[in-house]
Amino acid sequence: MSDFAREKAAQLVKKRASLSSLGSHEVRAKESAYKAKDSTSTVSYIDEHGHHDDIPRPPVQMENTYQLDSAGHPEGRAGQLPPGREVVKARVKDLMIPRYKIIVVISIGQLADHSMQMSSRCLWDAANDTCASHTFKNSSLFAVANVYGVYFE
Amino acid sequence: MDDFQIGEDTAFVVDEVSTIVKEAVEGAIGGNAYQHNRVNQWTNNVVEQCLTQLSKLGKPFKYIVTCIIMQKNGAGLQTACSCFWDNTTDGSCTVRWENKSMYCIVSVFGLAI
Repeated sequence: MSDFAREKAAQLVKKRASLSSLGSHEVRAKESAYKAKDSTSTVSYIDEHGHHDDIPRPPVQMENTYQLDSAGHPEGRAGQLPPGREVVKARVKDLMIPRYKIIVVISIGQLADHSMQMSSRCLWDAANDTCASHTFKNSSLFAVANVYGVYFE
Repeated sequence: MDDFQIGEDTAFVVDEVSTIVKEAVEGAIGGNAYQHNRVNQWTNNVVEQCLTQLSKLGKPFKYIVTCIIMQKNGAGLQTACSCFWDNTTDGSCTVRWENKSMYCIVSVFGLAI
């Protein structure tokens, strides 16, 4: 029974996708593309094979603190320049805000004669989770950085 | 067997999420050409539709959905993300969609509660 469960767990773990501390040029490990009538779409994710041990580790469990009055929100952090995904993430991590998961999203584009719209919406606990955003522009490029902080209950 | 079933119900399944995203994008902007006065509504529709369908999965996750719609004009765009989370339980999925007049990039991040 345990071998069967372990096999299934291994298969399940392979399906999971996670992206952490990787450059964007590495996000090409798996792509599946399909063509519709006049549009194409591709899906990207990465299987981190190196991180999956043969012996499944028990997940680290954090107890509920029931502290909903969490101090420290990652607001204002996205205002730090220069933009750079790892720099932003490192600085946010320096804050050492406990029990928060951090997601940093950076978009850098060429300033040309085109228009663009960026939106994001989140399904979370609005009392404890929040986001911060900053835009940078010079004569040839623009950069938008979003930092999301999600409280881990 | 019980452990496996619990795992399946609480895992971030990329295929499932990407299907939801593709359907949301096709429904919101499929067959349309880029129009500046409608793009705001389109991005809202895409993210709202994604979130609605994701919440219907009923999994114990918090979701962050981002959508970028860019007019095709020869300009370049680079997006990247970096996440400080629990690798074993959390996941993300990015779908790139395009037609003749625009690109649409949708990213979904799922964080286990």
